Amino acid sequence: MDLLQVIAFGVLLGGVYALLASGVTLIFGVLDVVNVAQGSFLVFSALFTWQIWSLLGLEPLLLVPVMGLLMFVIGWAIYRGLLVRVAPQGPGMTVLLMFGVAIAMEGVLNIVFGNEFKSVTPPYFTSSFKIGEIVIPYPQMISGVLAVVVLGGIYVYLRKSWAGRALRASAQNKDGAALVGISATKASSLAFGIGAMTAGVGGVLLAIMYPVYPATQYDWIARLLGIIVLGGMGSIPGAIIASMLLGISESIASAYVPQWAPVFFYGAILVILLFRPHGLLGEKTREDVAA
Amino acid sequence: MSESVLTMANIEAGYGGGLVLQGVDLTVDKGTITCIVGPNGAGKSTVFRVISGLLKPKGGTVTFGGRDIGGLSPSEVLKSGIAQVPQNRALFPEMSVHENVLMGGYAIRRDRALLKERLAMVAEMVPLVKERAKEHAGNLSGGQRRMVEIGRALMLDPAVVLMDEPSLGLDPKSVATVASVIRDMAAEGRTVLMIEQNVRLGMNLATHGVVMEQGKVRLIGDAKDIADNPEVASMYLGKTGHNA
Ligand SMILES: Nc1ncnc2c1ncn2[C@@H]1O[C@H](COP(=O)(O)OP(=O)(O)OP(=O)(O)O)[C@@H](O)[C@H]1O
Ligand SMILES: [Mg+2]
Repeated sequence: MDLLQVIAFGVLLGGVYALLASGVTLIFGVLDVVNVAQGSFLVFSALFTWQIWSLLGLEPLLLVPVMGLLMFVIGWAIYRGLLVRVAPQGPGMTVLLMFGVAIAMEGVLNIVFGNEFKSVTPPYFTSSFKIGEIVIPYPQMISGVLAVVVLGGIYVYLRKSWAGRALRASAQNKDGAALVGISATKASSLAFGIGAMTAGVGGVLLAIMYPVYPATQYDWIARLLGIIVLGGMGSIPGAIIASMLLGISESIASAYVPQWAPVFFYGAILVILLFRPHGLLGEKTREDVAA
Repeated sequence: MSESVLTMANIEAGYGGGLVLQGVDLTVDKGTITCIVGPNGAGKSTVFRVISGLLKPKGGTVTFGGRDIGGLSPSEVLKSGIAQVPQNRALFPEMSVHENVLMGGYAIRRDRALLKERLAMVAEMVPLVKERAKEHAGNLSGGQRRMVEIGRALMLDPAVVLMDEPSLGLDPKSVATVASVIRDMAAEGRTVLMIEQNVRLGMNLATHGVVMEQGKVRLIGDAKDIADNPEVASMYLGKTGHNA
Protein backbone atom coordinates (compact mmCIF):
# COMPACT_ATOMS: atom_id res chain seq x y z
CA MET A 1 0.00 0.00 0.00
CA ASP A 2 1.02 3.57 -0.65
CA LEU A 3 2.52 5.24 2.42
CA LEU A 4 0.44 8.38 1.89
CA GLN A 5 -2.71 6.31 1.89
CA VAL A 6 -1.65 4.54 5.06
CA ILE A 7 -1.06 7.88 6.77
CA ALA A 8 -4.42 9.26 5.60
CA PHE A 9 -6.02 6.19 7.15
CA GLY A 10 -4.12 6.73 10.35
CA VAL A 11 -5.16 10.37 10.62
CA LEU A 12 -8.84 9.48 10.20
CA LEU A 13 -8.58 6.75 12.79
CA GLY A 14 -6.62 9.14 15.02
CA GLY A 15 -9.53 11.59 14.80
CA VAL A 16 -11.87 8.99 16.27
CA TYR A 17 -9.37 8.16 19.01
CA ALA A 18 -8.96 11.86 19.72
CA LEU A 19 -12.68 12.35 20.27
CA LEU A 20 -12.92 9.40 22.66
CA ALA A 21 -9.70 10.12 24.53
CA SER A 22 -10.62 13.78 24.95
CA GLY A 23 -13.72 12.62 26.80
CA VAL A 24 -11.64 10.52 29.19
CA THR A 25 -9.03 13.19 29.75
CA LEU A 26 -11.64 15.93 30.27
CA ILE A 27 -13.26 13.84 33.00
CA PHE A 28 -9.88 13.22 34.61
CA GLY A 29 -8.93 16.89 34.43
CA VAL A 30 -12.06 18.13 36.17
CA LEU A 31 -12.89 15.22 38.51
CA ASP A 32 -9.63 13.34 39.06
CA VAL A 33 -11.60 10.25 38.09
CA VAL A 34 -10.17 7.77 35.60
CA ASN A 35 -13.26 6.70 33.71
CA VAL A 36 -12.40 3.10 32.91
CA ALA A 37 -16.02 2.60 31.80
CA GLN A 38 -15.51 4.70 28.65
CA GLY A 39 -14.96 1.50 26.62
CA SER A 40 -18.25 0.10 27.87
CA PHE A 41 -20.07 3.36 27.13
CA LEU A 42 -18.65 3.18 23.62
CA VAL A 43 -19.67 -0.42 22.99
CA PHE A 44 -23.08 0.19 24.54
CA SER A 45 -23.65 3.04 22.10
CA ALA A 46 -22.39 0.97 19.15
CA LEU A 47 -24.65 -2.00 19.96
CA PHE A 48 -27.62 0.29 20.57
CA THR A 49 -26.96 1.82 17.16
CA TRP A 50 -26.84 -1.65 15.63
CA GLN A 51 -30.17 -2.52 17.27
CA ILE A 52 -31.98 0.54 15.96
CA TRP A 53 -30.40 0.20 12.53
CA SER A 54 -31.36 -3.47 12.22
CA LEU A 55 -34.90 -2.83 13.43
CA LEU A 56 -35.67 0.29 11.43
CA GLY A 57 -33.06 0.29 8.69
CA LEU A 58 -32.42 3.92 9.58
CA GLU A 59 -29.35 5.75 8.32
CA PRO A 60 -27.02 5.14 11.31
CA LEU A 61 -25.45 8.61 11.16
CA LEU A 62 -28.81 10.08 12.15
CA LEU A 63 -28.19 8.46 15.52
CA VAL A 64 -25.09 10.57 16.23
CA PRO A 65 -27.00 13.32 18.07
CA VAL A 66 -29.37 10.80 19.65
CA MET A 67 -26.64 8.60 21.12
CA GLY A 68 -24.59 11.66 22.09
CA LEU A 69 -27.50 13.04 24.06
CA LEU A 70 -28.44 9.68 25.56
CA MET A 71 -24.91 9.04 26.80
CA PHE A 72 -24.69 12.60 28.12
CA VAL A 73 -27.76 11.94 30.26
CA ILE A 74 -26.50 8.52 31.36
CA GLY A 75 -23.08 9.98 32.25
CA TRP A 76 -24.66 12.85 34.14
CA ALA A 77 -26.86 10.39 36.06
CA ILE A 78 -23.93 8.11 36.89
CA TYR A 79 -22.11 11.10 38.34
CA ARG A 80 -25.05 12.40 40.35
CA GLY A 81 -26.23 8.98 41.48
CA LEU A 82 -22.98 7.11 42.14
CA LEU A 83 -19.74 9.00 41.69
CA VAL A 84 -20.61 12.01 43.80
CA ARG A 85 -20.96 9.73 46.83
CA VAL A 86 -17.73 7.84 46.22
CA ALA A 87 -15.57 10.77 45.05
CA PRO A 88 -14.55 11.88 48.59
CA GLN A 89 -12.94 8.45 49.14
CA GLY A 90 -10.31 9.28 46.53
CA PRO A 91 -9.20 8.08 43.10
CA GLY A 92 -8.72 4.43 44.11
CA MET A 93 -12.37 4.04 44.99
CA THR A 94 -13.68 5.88 41.94
CA VAL A 95 -11.65 3.66 39.62
CA LEU A 96 -13.08 0.60 41.33
CA LEU A 97 -16.58 2.00 41.00
CA MET A 98 -16.18 2.79 37.30
CA PHE A 99 -14.61 -0.63 36.73
CA GLY A 100 -17.73 -2.10 38.34
CA VAL A 101 -19.93 -0.01 36.06
CA ALA A 102 -17.92 -1.22 33.04
CA ILE A 103 -18.26 -4.90 33.96
CA ALA A 104 -21.95 -4.56 34.81
CA MET A 105 -22.64 -2.86 31.48
CA GLU A 106 -20.68 -5.50 29.58
CA GLY A 107 -22.64 -8.22 31.38
CA VAL A 108 -25.98 -6.68 30.47
CA LEU A 109 -24.86 -6.19 26.86
CA ASN A 110 -23.81 -9.85 26.75
CA ILE A 111 -27.26 -10.95 27.89
CA VAL A 112 -29.10 -8.66 25.49
CA PHE A 113 -26.92 -8.92 22.39
CA GLY A 114 -25.05 -12.18 22.90
CA ASN A 115 -21.34 -12.60 22.67
CA GLU A 116 -21.06 -12.27 18.91
CA PHE A 117 -19.99 -9.68 16.37
CA LYS A 118 -22.59 -7.22 15.10
CA SER A 119 -21.98 -5.04 12.06
CA VAL A 120 -23.87 -2.04 10.84
CA THR A 121 -23.66 -2.02 7.06
CA PRO A 122 -25.29 1.02 5.48
CA PRO A 123 -25.29 1.22 1.65
CA TYR A 124 -22.02 3.14 1.57
CA PHE A 125 -20.34 0.55 3.80
CA THR A 126 -18.22 -0.91 1.01
CA SER A 127 -17.86 2.16 -1.18
CA SER A 128 -14.86 4.41 -1.23
CA PHE A 129 -13.58 7.44 -3.05
CA LYS A 130 -10.31 8.59 -4.48
CA ILE A 131 -8.23 11.71 -3.95
CA GLY A 132 -5.46 11.33 -6.51
CA GLU A 133 -3.85 8.01 -5.70
CA ILE A 134 -5.38 7.74 -2.24
CA VAL A 135 -8.39 5.46 -1.83
CA ILE A 136 -10.46 5.99 1.29
CA PRO A 137 -13.49 3.92 2.30
CA TYR A 138 -16.53 6.07 3.11
CA PRO A 139 -17.06 4.75 6.66
CA GLN A 140 -13.50 5.69 7.66
CA MET A 141 -13.81 9.06 5.97
CA ILE A 142 -17.17 9.90 7.54
CA SER A 143 -16.11 8.74 10.99
CA GLY A 144 -12.84 10.61 11.00
CA VAL A 145 -14.39 13.84 9.77
CA LEU A 146 -17.41 13.68 12.08
CA ALA A 147 -15.20 12.94 15.08
CA VAL A 148 -13.09 15.99 14.33
CA VAL A 149 -16.21 18.15 13.85
CA VAL A 150 -17.65 17.07 17.22
CA LEU A 151 -14.30 17.56 18.90
CA GLY A 152 -14.09 21.04 17.37
CA GLY A 153 -17.55 21.78 18.75
CA ILE A 154 -16.44 20.71 22.23
CA TYR A 155 -13.32 22.85 21.90
CA VAL A 156 -15.32 25.94 21.00
CA TYR A 157 -17.76 25.21 23.83
CA LEU A 158 -14.94 24.92 26.36
CA ARG A 159 -13.32 28.13 25.10
CA LYS A 160 -16.26 30.41 24.55
CA SER A 161 -19.14 29.47 26.83
CA TRP A 162 -19.29 30.30 30.52
CA ALA A 163 -20.03 26.68 31.37
CA GLY A 164 -16.99 25.63 29.36
CA ARG A 165 -14.78 28.20 31.05
CA ALA A 166 -16.04 26.98 34.41
CA LEU A 167 -15.00 23.44 33.46
CA ARG A 168 -11.52 24.54 32.49
CA ALA A 169 -11.24 26.63 35.64
CA SER A 170 -12.17 23.63 37.80
CA ALA A 171 -9.62 21.50 36.00
CA GLN A 172 -6.85 24.06 36.47
CA ASN A 173 -7.42 25.09 40.07
CA LYS A 174 -10.20 23.67 42.24
CA ASP A 175 -9.90 26.17 45.10
CA GLY A 176 -9.65 29.04 42.67
CA ALA A 177 -12.80 27.86 40.92
CA ALA A 178 -14.71 27.59 44.22
CA LEU A 179 -13.58 31.11 45.14
CA VAL A 180 -15.12 32.64 42.04
CA GLY A 181 -18.37 30.82 42.73
CA ILE A 182 -18.16 27.78 40.45
CA SER A 183 -19.99 24.79 41.92
CA ALA A 184 -17.72 21.75 41.89
CA THR A 185 -20.68 19.38 41.63
CA LYS A 186 -22.15 21.17 38.62
CA ALA A 187 -18.82 21.38 36.84
CA SER A 188 -18.14 17.70 37.57
CA SER A 189 -21.51 16.45 36.33
CA LEU A 190 -21.18 18.52 33.18
CA ALA A 191 -17.66 17.20 32.55
CA PHE A 192 -18.75 13.62 33.11
CA GLY A 193 -21.76 14.14 30.84
CA ILE A 194 -19.60 15.56 28.03
CA GLY A 195 -17.04 12.78 28.47
CA ALA A 196 -19.75 10.15 28.20
CA MET A 197 -21.24 11.99 25.22
CA THR A 198 -18.02 11.53 23.26
CA ALA A 199 -18.47 7.78 23.79
CA GLY A 200 -22.08 8.06 22.60
CA VAL A 201 -21.02 9.76 19.37
CA GLY A 202 -17.98 7.51 19.04
CA GLY A 203 -20.14 4.41 19.40
CA VAL A 204 -22.12 5.26 16.26
CA LEU A 205 -18.89 5.88 14.36
CA LEU A 206 -17.42 2.65 15.69
CA ALA A 207 -20.50 0.73 14.56
CA ILE A 208 -20.12 1.78 10.92
CA MET A 209 -16.35 1.13 10.92
CA TYR A 210 -15.89 -2.19 12.68
CA PRO A 211 -17.85 -5.22 13.86
CA VAL A 212 -18.56 -4.91 17.59
CA TYR A 213 -19.28 -7.27 20.46
CA PRO A 214 -19.45 -6.56 24.21
CA ALA A 215 -15.92 -7.63 25.15
CA THR A 216 -14.35 -5.26 22.56
CA GLN A 217 -14.62 -2.66 25.36
CA TYR A 218 -11.31 -3.99 26.75
CA ASP A 219 -9.43 -3.22 23.54
CA TRP A 220 -10.85 0.26 23.53
CA ILE A 221 -10.26 1.19 27.12
CA ALA A 222 -6.68 -0.07 26.88
CA ARG A 223 -6.05 2.14 23.86
CA LEU A 224 -7.75 5.16 25.43
CA LEU A 225 -5.84 4.84 28.71
CA GLY A 226 -2.61 4.50 26.74
CA ILE A 227 -3.45 7.66 24.82
CA ILE A 228 -4.27 9.83 27.82
CA VAL A 229 -1.22 8.64 29.76
CA LEU A 230 0.97 9.37 26.75
CA GLY A 231 -0.66 12.75 26.09
CA GLY A 232 -0.47 13.72 29.76
CA MET A 233 -3.40 13.07 32.10
CA GLY A 234 -5.93 15.87 31.84
CA SER A 235 -4.47 17.53 28.74
CA ILE A 236 -6.81 17.62 25.72
CA PRO A 237 -4.15 18.85 23.26
CA GLY A 238 -1.91 16.06 24.57
CA ALA A 239 -4.65 13.51 24.00
CA ILE A 240 -5.12 14.73 20.43
CA ILE A 241 -1.41 14.47 19.61
CA ALA A 242 -1.17 11.02 21.22
CA SER A 243 -4.28 9.90 19.32
CA MET A 244 -2.74 10.90 16.01
CA LEU A 245 0.47 9.07 16.93
CA LEU A 246 -1.50 5.95 17.77
CA GLY A 247 -3.73 6.16 14.70
CA ILE A 248 -0.83 6.62 12.31
CA SER A 249 1.47 4.08 13.95
CA GLU A 250 -1.29 1.47 14.06
CA SER A 251 -2.14 2.14 10.45
CA ILE A 252 1.48 1.87 9.33
CA ALA A 253 2.09 -1.23 11.41
CA SER A 254 -1.03 -3.03 10.20
CA ALA A 255 -0.18 -2.24 6.57
CA TYR A 256 3.36 -3.55 6.74
CA VAL A 257 3.74 -5.75 9.84
CA PRO A 258 0.21 -6.53 11.01
CA GLN A 259 1.16 -8.86 13.85
CA TRP A 260 3.31 -6.12 15.43
CA ALA A 261 0.72 -3.34 15.41
CA PRO A 262 0.02 -3.18 19.18
CA VAL A 263 3.69 -3.51 20.11
CA PHE A 264 4.49 -0.36 18.15
CA PHE A 265 2.19 1.86 20.12
CA TYR A 266 2.68 0.48 23.60
CA GLY A 267 6.43 0.31 23.02
CA ALA A 268 6.38 3.97 22.01
CA ILE A 269 4.45 4.85 25.19
CA LEU A 270 7.04 3.10 27.34
CA VAL A 271 9.95 4.86 25.71
CA ILE A 272 8.32 8.30 25.78
CA LEU A 273 7.28 7.95 29.42
CA LEU A 274 10.85 7.06 30.37
CA PHE A 275 11.87 10.53 29.23
CA ARG A 276 8.67 12.42 30.02
CA PRO A 277 7.02 10.79 33.04
CA HIS A 278 4.14 13.30 32.96
CA GLY A 279 3.36 12.49 29.34
CA LEU A 280 3.77 14.73 26.32
CA LEU A 281 1.86 17.76 27.64
CA GLY A 282 0.98 16.57 31.10
CA GLU A 283 2.91 18.64 33.57
CA LYS A 284 1.30 22.03 33.30
CA THR A 285 -2.21 21.31 34.58
CA ARG A 286 -1.32 19.24 37.62
CA GLU A 287 -1.31 20.36 41.25
CA ASP A 288 2.45 20.51 41.63
CA VAL A 289 2.40 23.61 39.49
CA ALA A 290 -0.98 25.01 40.51
CA ALA A 291 -0.40 24.67 44.26
CA MET B 1 -18.59 54.11 67.75
CA SER B 2 -17.70 52.34 64.58
CA GLU B 3 -20.05 49.94 62.87
CA SER B 4 -19.12 46.25 62.73
CA VAL B 5 -19.60 44.56 59.36
CA LEU B 6 -18.32 41.04 59.99
CA THR B 7 -18.51 39.13 63.27
CA MET B 8 -17.50 35.65 64.33
CA ALA B 9 -18.80 34.34 67.63
CA ASN B 10 -17.42 31.25 69.31
CA ILE B 11 -16.45 29.60 66.01
CA GLU B 12 -15.25 26.02 66.18
CA ALA B 13 -13.92 24.31 63.08
CA GLY B 14 -11.43 21.69 61.97
CA TYR B 15 -10.42 19.25 59.26
CA GLY B 16 -11.52 15.74 60.16
CA GLY B 17 -11.21 14.90 63.85
CA GLY B 18 -9.69 17.67 65.98
CA LEU B 19 -10.69 21.31 66.26
CA VAL B 20 -8.31 23.82 64.70
CA LEU B 21 -10.44 26.80 65.74
CA GLN B 22 -11.46 26.52 69.38
CA GLY B 23 -13.99 29.26 69.92
CA VAL B 24 -12.89 32.23 67.81
CA ASP B 25 -14.50 35.61 68.54
CA LEU B 26 -13.74 38.34 66.05
CA THR B 27 -15.29 41.66 65.10
CA VAL B 28 -14.30 43.60 62.01
CA ASP B 29 -15.39 47.21 61.68
CA LYS B 30 -16.61 48.69 58.44
CA GLY B 31 -14.03 50.43 56.28
CA THR B 32 -11.06 49.27 58.35
CA ILE B 33 -7.97 47.36 57.39
CA THR B 34 -7.84 44.63 60.01
CA CYS B 35 -4.77 42.47 60.16
CA ILE B 36 -4.54 39.04 61.79
CA VAL B 37 -1.11 37.94 62.98
CA GLY B 38 0.03 34.80 64.74
CA PRO B 39 2.44 31.90 64.50
CA ASN B 40 2.31 29.21 61.81
CA GLY B 41 -0.56 26.85 62.35
CA ALA B 42 -2.47 29.22 64.64
CA GLY B 43 -5.54 28.84 62.45
CA LYS B 44 -5.44 32.17 60.60
CA SER B 45 -6.13 30.72 57.16
CA THR B 46 -8.75 28.45 58.68
CA VAL B 47 -10.65 31.55 59.85
CA PHE B 48 -10.74 32.69 56.22
CA ARG B 49 -11.85 29.27 54.98
CA VAL B 50 -14.78 29.41 57.40
CA ILE B 51 -15.80 32.93 56.38
CA SER B 52 -15.60 32.18 52.66
CA GLY B 53 -17.58 28.95 52.98
CA LEU B 54 -14.77 26.58 51.96
CA LEU B 55 -14.97 24.96 55.42
CA LYS B 56 -18.19 24.48 57.38
CA PRO B 57 -17.90 25.48 61.06
CA LYS B 58 -18.80 22.86 63.68
CA GLY B 59 -20.12 25.50 66.06
CA GLY B 60 -20.63 29.24 66.47
CA THR B 61 -21.94 31.92 64.14
CA VAL B 62 -20.60 34.13 61.37
CA THR B 63 -22.58 37.30 60.78
CA PHE B 64 -22.11 39.59 57.80
CA GLY B 65 -24.12 42.78 57.45
CA GLY B 66 -26.61 41.50 60.01
CA ARG B 67 -27.12 38.18 58.22
CA ASP B 68 -25.98 34.75 59.42
CA ILE B 69 -23.66 33.41 56.71
CA GLY B 70 -22.14 30.48 58.65
CA GLY B 71 -22.22 27.32 56.53
CA LEU B 72 -23.29 29.00 53.26
CA SER B 73 -21.65 27.71 50.08
CA PRO B 74 -18.63 29.62 48.71
CA SER B 75 -20.71 30.98 45.86
CA GLU B 76 -23.42 32.27 48.20
CA VAL B 77 -20.86 33.97 50.44
CA LEU B 78 -19.26 35.49 47.36
CA LYS B 79 -22.58 36.85 46.11
CA SER B 80 -23.30 38.32 49.53
CA GLY B 81 -20.22 40.53 49.09
CA ILE B 82 -17.13 38.80 50.52
CA ALA B 83 -14.25 37.93 48.18
CA GLN B 84 -11.04 36.12 49.07
CA VAL B 85 -7.47 36.23 47.83
CA PRO B 86 -6.08 32.99 49.27
CA GLN B 87 -2.60 32.16 50.53
CA ASN B 88 -1.85 29.58 47.85
CA ARG B 89 -1.87 30.16 44.15
CA ALA B 90 -5.44 30.58 43.06
CA LEU B 91 -5.21 31.58 39.40
CA PHE B 92 -6.04 29.39 36.42
CA PRO B 93 -2.52 28.94 35.02
CA GLU B 94 -3.49 28.07 31.45
CA MET B 95 -5.92 30.92 31.04
CA SER B 96 -4.92 34.41 29.99
CA VAL B 97 -4.79 37.21 32.54
CA HIS B 98 -7.92 38.68 30.97
CA GLU B 99 -9.79 35.40 31.21
CA ASN B 100 -8.73 34.97 34.84
CA VAL B 101 -10.12 38.37 35.74
CA LEU B 102 -13.24 37.66 33.70
CA MET B 103 -13.80 34.48 35.73
CA GLY B 104 -13.97 36.68 38.81
CA GLY B 105 -17.27 37.88 37.33
CA TYR B 106 -18.65 34.36 36.96
CA ALA B 107 -21.49 35.14 39.36
CA ILE B 108 -22.63 38.12 37.25
CA ARG B 109 -22.00 36.42 33.88
CA ARG B 110 -25.54 37.04 32.64
CA ASP B 111 -25.25 40.82 32.97
CA ARG B 112 -22.93 41.81 30.15
CA ALA B 113 -23.11 45.55 30.75
CA LEU B 114 -22.23 45.13 34.42
CA LEU B 115 -19.42 42.73 33.52
CA LYS B 116 -17.94 45.30 31.17
CA GLU B 117 -18.23 48.03 33.74
CA ARG B 118 -16.47 45.92 36.35
CA LEU B 119 -13.68 44.95 33.95
CA ALA B 120 -13.06 48.65 33.40
CA MET B 121 -13.12 49.33 37.14
CA VAL B 122 -10.64 46.55 37.85
CA ALA B 123 -8.34 47.68 35.02
CA GLU B 124 -8.24 51.09 36.64
CA MET B 125 -7.39 49.76 40.10
CA VAL B 126 -4.96 47.12 38.85
CA PRO B 127 -3.48 48.39 35.56
CA LEU B 128 -1.45 45.20 35.17
CA VAL B 129 -4.54 43.24 34.16
CA LYS B 130 -4.79 45.40 31.05
CA GLU B 131 -1.07 45.60 30.31
CA ARG B 132 -0.65 41.82 30.48
CA ALA B 133 -4.17 40.88 29.36
CA LYS B 134 -3.08 38.29 26.80
CA GLU B 135 -0.35 36.62 28.85
CA HIS B 136 -0.89 33.18 30.38
CA ALA B 137 -1.33 33.53 34.13
CA GLY B 138 1.10 30.64 34.62
CA ASN B 139 3.93 32.73 33.13
CA LEU B 140 3.62 35.67 35.51
CA SER B 141 5.97 36.48 38.38
CA GLY B 142 4.76 36.09 41.96
CA GLY B 143 4.02 39.79 42.37
CA GLN B 144 2.12 39.99 39.08
CA ARG B 145 0.14 36.91 40.02
CA ARG B 146 -0.91 38.52 43.30
CA MET B 147 -2.12 41.60 41.47
CA VAL B 148 -4.20 39.51 39.07
CA GLU B 149 -5.66 37.58 42.01
CA ILE B 150 -6.62 40.88 43.62
CA GLY B 151 -8.13 42.11 40.35
CA ARG B 152 -10.14 38.93 40.02
CA ALA B 153 -11.45 39.26 43.58
CA LEU B 154 -12.61 42.83 42.86
CA MET B 155 -14.84 41.81 39.94
CA LEU B 156 -17.88 41.42 42.17
CA ASP B 157 -17.25 44.79 43.81
CA PRO B 158 -17.05 43.13 47.24
CA ALA B 159 -17.75 45.02 50.46
CA VAL B 160 -15.20 42.84 52.27
CA VAL B 161 -11.93 41.53 50.84
CA LEU B 162 -10.09 38.74 52.64
CA MET B 163 -6.36 38.66 51.87
CA ASP B 164 -4.27 35.77 53.14
CA GLU B 165 -0.60 36.75 53.41
CA PRO B 166 -0.61 39.05 50.38
CA SER B 167 3.12 39.79 50.74
CA LEU B 168 4.23 36.17 50.93
CA GLY B 169 7.15 35.44 48.65
CA LEU B 170 7.11 38.87 46.99
CA ASP B 171 10.06 41.18 46.37
CA PRO B 172 9.97 44.55 48.21
CA LYS B 173 8.76 46.47 45.19
CA SER B 174 5.81 44.12 44.66
CA VAL B 175 5.01 44.29 48.37
CA ALA B 176 4.78 48.08 48.08
CA THR B 177 2.45 47.79 45.06
CA VAL B 178 0.21 45.32 46.87
CA ALA B 179 0.16 47.54 49.98
CA SER B 180 -0.87 50.53 47.93
CA VAL B 181 -3.75 48.61 46.32
CA ILE B 182 -4.89 47.55 49.79
CA ARG B 183 -4.92 51.20 50.87
CA ASP B 184 -6.84 52.12 47.71
CA MET B 185 -9.45 49.48 48.48
CA ALA B 186 -9.94 50.83 51.99
CA ALA B 187 -10.10 54.40 50.67
CA GLU B 188 -12.95 53.30 48.40
CA GLY B 189 -14.88 52.21 51.47
CA ARG B 190 -14.16 48.49 51.31
CA THR B 191 -13.30 46.56 54.43
CA VAL B 192 -10.06 44.61 54.24
CA LEU B 193 -9.37 41.67 56.52
CA MET B 194 -5.84 40.44 55.99
CA ILE B 195 -3.36 37.95 57.41
CA GLU B 196 0.31 38.86 57.59
CA GLN B 197 3.37 37.01 58.87
CA ASN B 198 5.40 40.18 58.88
CA VAL B 199 3.88 41.92 61.93
CA ARG B 200 5.67 45.21 61.32
CA LEU B 201 4.40 45.45 57.75
CA GLY B 202 0.91 44.32 58.70
CA MET B 203 0.45 46.73 61.59
CA ASN B 204 1.86 49.57 59.54
CA LEU B 205 -0.74 49.04 56.89
CA ALA B 206 -3.64 48.14 59.16
CA THR B 207 -5.91 50.22 61.33
CA HIS B 208 -6.82 47.27 63.56
CA GLY B 209 -4.92 44.21 64.67
CA VAL B 210 -5.81 40.72 65.85
CA VAL B 211 -3.38 38.27 67.44
CA MET B 212 -4.23 34.59 67.12
CA GLU B 213 -2.65 31.67 68.92
CA GLN B 214 -3.54 28.00 68.95
CA GLY B 215 -6.97 28.40 67.44
CA LYS B 216 -8.04 31.36 69.58
CA VAL B 217 -7.96 35.14 69.41
CA ARG B 218 -5.49 36.35 72.05
CA LEU B 219 -5.62 40.10 71.48
CA ILE B 220 -7.67 42.49 69.42
CA GLY B 221 -7.35 46.26 69.18
CA ASP B 222 -5.91 49.26 67.34
CA ALA B 223 -2.99 48.37 65.10
CA LYS B 224 -0.75 50.79 67.01
CA ASP B 225 -1.58 49.25 70.37
CA ILE B 226 -0.95 45.77 69.03
CA ALA B 227 2.38 46.81 67.55
CA ASP B 228 3.37 48.49 70.83
CA ASN B 229 2.18 45.63 73.01
CA PRO B 230 5.29 44.33 74.78
CA GLU B 231 4.07 40.74 74.69
CA VAL B 232 3.53 40.84 70.93
CA ALA B 233 6.84 42.63 70.51
CA SER B 234 8.71 39.90 72.31
CA MET B 235 6.80 37.16 70.51
CA TYR B 236 7.06 38.30 66.92
CA LEU B 237 8.57 41.70 66.40
CA GLY B 238 11.86 40.53 67.80
CA LYS B 239 11.84 37.57 65.47
CA THR B 240 10.99 39.47 62.29
CA GLY B 241 13.20 42.32 63.47
CA HIS B 242 16.17 40.02 63.08
CA ASN B 243 15.50 39.45 59.41
CA ALA B 244 14.53 43.01 58.58
N1 LIG C 1 -6.71 21.17 54.44
C1 LIG C 1 -6.29 20.81 55.66
N2 LIG C 1 -6.45 19.54 56.10
C2 LIG C 1 -6.02 19.17 57.33
N3 LIG C 1 -5.45 20.00 58.20
C3 LIG C 1 -5.26 21.28 57.84
C4 LIG C 1 -5.67 21.76 56.56
N4 LIG C 1 -5.36 23.07 56.47
C5 LIG C 1 -4.78 23.39 57.65
N5 LIG C 1 -4.73 22.33 58.46
C6 LIG C 1 -4.18 22.35 59.84
O1 LIG C 1 -4.86 23.31 60.59
C7 LIG C 1 -3.98 24.03 61.43
C8 LIG C 1 -4.13 25.51 61.17
O2 LIG C 1 -3.81 25.78 59.83
P1 LIG C 1 -3.95 27.20 59.16
O3 LIG C 1 -3.62 27.06 57.74
O4 LIG C 1 -5.25 27.80 59.50
O5 LIG C 1 -2.80 28.00 59.92
P2 LIG C 1 -2.22 29.44 59.64
O6 LIG C 1 -2.35 30.19 60.91
O7 LIG C 1 -2.81 30.03 58.44
O8 LIG C 1 -0.70 29.10 59.42
P3 LIG C 1 0.34 29.70 58.34
O9 LIG C 1 0.91 30.91 58.95
O10 LIG C 1 1.35 28.61 58.23
O11 LIG C 1 -0.39 29.95 57.06
C9 LIG C 1 -2.59 23.50 61.14
O12 LIG C 1 -2.24 22.61 62.16
C10 LIG C 1 -2.73 22.78 59.83
O13 LIG C 1 -1.88 21.66 59.80
MG1 LIG D 1 -2.17 30.46 56.55
